[in-house]
Amino acid sequence: MVDAPSQAPAIAVHHLVKRYGDATAVNGISFAVERGDFFGFLGPNGAGKTTTINAIVGLARVDGGRIEVFGRDVSTAWRQARRLIGLAPQEYNFDRYLRVREILFYQAGYYGLRPREVAVRVDALLERFGLSAKAHAFVAQLSGGMKRRLTLARALVHDPQIVILDEPTAGVDVELRLELWETLRALRREGKTIVLTTHYIEEAEALCERIGIIEAGRMVALEKTESLLRSHARDELTITLAHPLQAPPPMLAHFSARLDPENACRLRFERLSPLQLSEVLALLGRDGIDVEAVNTERATLQDVFLALTGRGAR
Amino acid sequence: MNSVGLWTLIKREMKRSFQIINQVIWPPIISTLLYVFVFGLALGSRIKGIQGVSYAQFLLPGLVMMQVIDGAYGESSSSLFQARFTYAIQEMLVAPMSAGEIVFGYVFGSVLRTFLIANVIMVLGVLLLHTTPTSWGLYVAVLVLVAALFSSLGIIFGLMAEKYDNIAVLTTFAITPLVFVGGVFTSIHLLPPVVAHLSLLNPIFYTIDAFRYSYTGQSDVGLAISLPVVAAMTVASYAIAYAMVRAGYKLRT
Ligand SMILES: Nc1ncnc2c1ncn2[C@@H]1O[C@H](COP(=O)(O)OP(=O)(O)OP(=O)(O)O)[C@@H](O)[C@H]1O
Ligand SMILES: [Mg+2]
Repeated sequence: MVDAPSQAPAIAVHHLVKRYGDATAVNGISFAVERGDFFGFLGPNGAGKTTTINAIVGLARVDGGRIEVFGRDVSTAWRQARRLIGLAPQEYNFDRYLRVREILFYQAGYYGLRPREVAVRVDALLERFGLSAKAHAFVAQLSGGMKRRLTLARALVHDPQIVILDEPTAGVDVELRLELWETLRALRREGKTIVLTTHYIEEAEALCERIGIIEAGRMVALEKTESLLRSHARDELTITLAHPLQAPPPMLAHFSARLDPENACRLRFERLSPLQLSEVLALLGRDGIDVEAVNTERATLQDVFLALTGRGAR
Repeated sequence: MNSVGLWTLIKREMKRSFQIINQVIWPPIISTLLYVFVFGLALGSRIKGIQGVSYAQFLLPGLVMMQVIDGAYGESSSSLFQARFTYAIQEMLVAPMSAGEIVFGYVFGSVLRTFLIANVIMVLGVLLLHTTPTSWGLYVAVLVLVAALFSSLGIIFGLMAEKYDNIAVLTTFAITPLVFVGGVFTSIHLLPPVVAHLSLLNPIFYTIDAFRYSYTGQSDVGLAISLPVVAAMTVASYAIAYAMVRAGYKLRT
C-alpha cells in the first residue's frame, strides 16, 4: 500500500532523526497516532518531545525519516498537512501588536480563512476558554493561565483535525487544569485527534489512551496506557515492622523482599498474591518479628515512567 | 496560493506601522520638512538652480528617496527581526503559507507604507515648492522598485541579525553614508571628477538618479542606465531574501 489517505493514521512518524550540530535531539523514532486517538507524549526535560512536534508541524527541518499527516507527507504536501494540524506550543509566541480577539482572526487568516468565515468560531472559542472579557486586551495584560488558554483557543481557530498540545497545563492552577482536562475530553469526543505532552504523569494517565515515552531522542515505550501499566508497573506491598531490621530476613529472599532505604522498619514486595502474603506473615511471626501494618500501593504511570527513563534509580 | 494568508500578513504589517506611527510615519515627514526649510529654502536661495530647477526643487526627489530607502529597510528588518525574536513568526510558519507569500507580504507591506510616506512628501513638494513629478509612471515605478529593493535587504538583515543592534549595522555604516554621497544634495556634475567617478560605484546613486528623472526629466547617467541598474538590484535582493526564507534560514530550526 503506497498511499492510502483514507485509512492512513492521523500522524505517522517514520525513523525521524533531528540533529542540532553534533547533538542528536531525536534519534530515529517511529510512531503512529491513530485517528481519534488521545496520545500522550512523555519524557524527561530535553528528551526530544518539542523537537518531534516541531518536525511534525514544520518548525524544524528534519535530518532523516519521514512524517505523514493523514497520509500526506509534511515536506511535500505541506499545505494540506498544515491545515489539518493546530498547535499549542510550549513557548508563547503571540503577536504583540495584536489584541486577544485579533490574534485569533489573524491566525485564522494565515490558515486562509476570512474574518467573516471564522467570526462565530472566534467568539465561541473566547467564550469556551473564558477569554471574552479580555477580548480587547493585549497579551502582555493576560495572566499566565490566560495565555495558556489563548494558545489552545488559537490552535483550534481553523478547526483542525489534529490538535497538538505541548505542555498545555504548565503553570496552570488546579481548578483550571481540571477544566482544561474536561475541554480536552470534549475535543476528543468531537472526534479530534489529540497529542499531548506533559510533565504531570497523572494527567497523561487520566487523559491518554496511548502513551509514547521518549528518552534522549529514543522511544522507550509505546503502548496503550493500561497495558503499559500492566506490563511495566507492579502493585507494591509494604509491611511495616515494629522494629527496624539490618537487612531483609534471608527466609524472605525468594519473595524478593527489599528493605526501604529510608525506613528500616519497612519491607517492600512487588506483586504478592494473598496466599504468598499469608506465607510471608507466617514466616515473620515464626521468627518473632512483629508486624504493625500491611499496605498495598497501586502502580501508577509515574512508576512506569521512572522505571523506563532510568530516573527511578536515583 | 494562500491569498487570504498573504492579505492577512499585509494587513498585519500595516497595523503594526500605525501602532508605531510616531516612530515610523511622522519622523520621515517631519525631517523632510526640516531639510526643505533649512537646506532647500534657506541655504538653497544662495545656490543657483541645478538641472533647470531651483535647488529646493532639485532637492525634493532626493529627500523622497532618502526616506523611502530608510523607511523600507527599517520596516521589514525590524518587523521580521521582532517576529523572530518573539517567535510570533511561528504563527505564519505553522500555517499553510509559502516562502513566496511570506516574502511578498513583508515586502508589499513595506512598499505600501513607504509609498504612503513618499506621497505625503510629494504633496508637500507640490504645496511648498510648486514641484510636481512630470512622469507619474516613472515616479511610481522607481518608488516601488526602490522600496522593494530595500525591504528585501531588510528581510535579509532581519534574518541574519542575532540581536536588534545588528540591524543598524547596514543603516549606520552603509545606507546613511551612501545616501548622503549618493546625490540627494547635489548633482555629480558639481563634484570633483574623481569623486564623481566614485559615485558610479554607489548603488544608491542610481536610485536617486532614476527617481529624480521623474521630476526633472534629467539624469546624471541617463535613465537607460540607472533604471535597469535599480531593477537588477531589486530582483537580486528579492531573490536572495526569497531563497533565505525558503531555506528556512534562522526561521525553522
Ligand atoms: N533550536 C535548538 N538548537 C539547539 N539545540 C536544541 C534546539 N532545540 C532543542 N534543542 C536540544 O534538543 C534536545 C531536545 O529538546 P526538546 O526541546 O525537544 O526537549 P523536550 O522533550 O521538549 O523537553 P522539555 O520537556 O524540557 O520541553 C535538547 O537537548 C535541546 O537542548
Ligand atoms: Mg518541550
